[in-house]
Amino acid sequence: MSPNDTKAESSGYQRVVLKNASPHHYLKVRLLLEDETCRVSSVELKSFIITCLKGLHGEVGAALDVGVLKYEEETLTALLRVQSRGLVKLWSSLTLQGSYQNQACAFRVLQVSHQRNLC
Amino acid sequence: MVRVKSRYLLCEINVSDRRDLLKLDDRAVAGAVRAAVARIHGDYGTAICSTRFWGEIYMNSIKGRKHLDMISLACSLSVSFSTGTIRTCQKFLIRYNTQQLHRMLPKCKNEEKRQIEESILSCSLVDRDDDGFKDELESEEDEV
Repeated sequence: MSPNDTKAESSGYQRVVLKNASPHHYLKVRLLLEDETCRVSSVELKSFIITCLKGLHGEVGAALDVGVLKYEEETLTALLRVQSRGLVKLWSSLTLQGSYQNQACAFRVLQVSHQRNLC
Repeated sequence: MVRVKSRYLLCEINVSDRRDLLKLDDRAVAGAVRAAVARIHGDYGTAICSTRFWGEIYMNSIKGRKHLDMISLACSLSVSFSTGTIRTCQKFLIRYNTQQLHRMLPKCKNEEKRQIEESILSCSLVDRDDDGFKDELESEEDEV
């Protein structure tokens, strides 16, 4: 093992090389709302994400296959799965969204990965 | 010198009542295309069309090479031809109109037949020696 490998392991990072392009990408996102007491269910979140996509990328964006794999209602944190070719569309739609039910909101993209276990 | 890449779409507008064609103008067509792009491609598509789409200039030509697919998807008109230069578009249109005249010819009577024969003979693209025109001729290999 080279000294560089030891250093990489000690820092907690792992290098993963895929032979083929990964079909999906995973995003860990957190929804920040102006009113912190507001509760959002997973269905509402999914609907909101599709609204974001439709606003920026129209019907083509709304037709993207986006899945909410995991959702914590207390922290408003979700793990999303999207086809790799739709990653940029989803990411840009979430980033540019600024309001939810007449209140200011923002999506924080915490982590992006091509493997689910890394998110 | 980098050439601005653009594409021209030759579209055919189909209407049920031919009298509706009189109400159409270039602005109406451009507005309809923009609305369709906005619906299908959202704010992003609208923003791109606002900079790279000039539907107002020519009644049936659309510019914007990179976003050709975007416009053809959104366009409810039937796209007959797409090309890199407007001259190739004109050549296609003349060929297409000549074919239509040839189809009409057998059905016509004496006077109409003579008029159509004259029209067929007069179908040609006028040659011009402008420098800009030569440039377009040189770049005809871009044709799709």
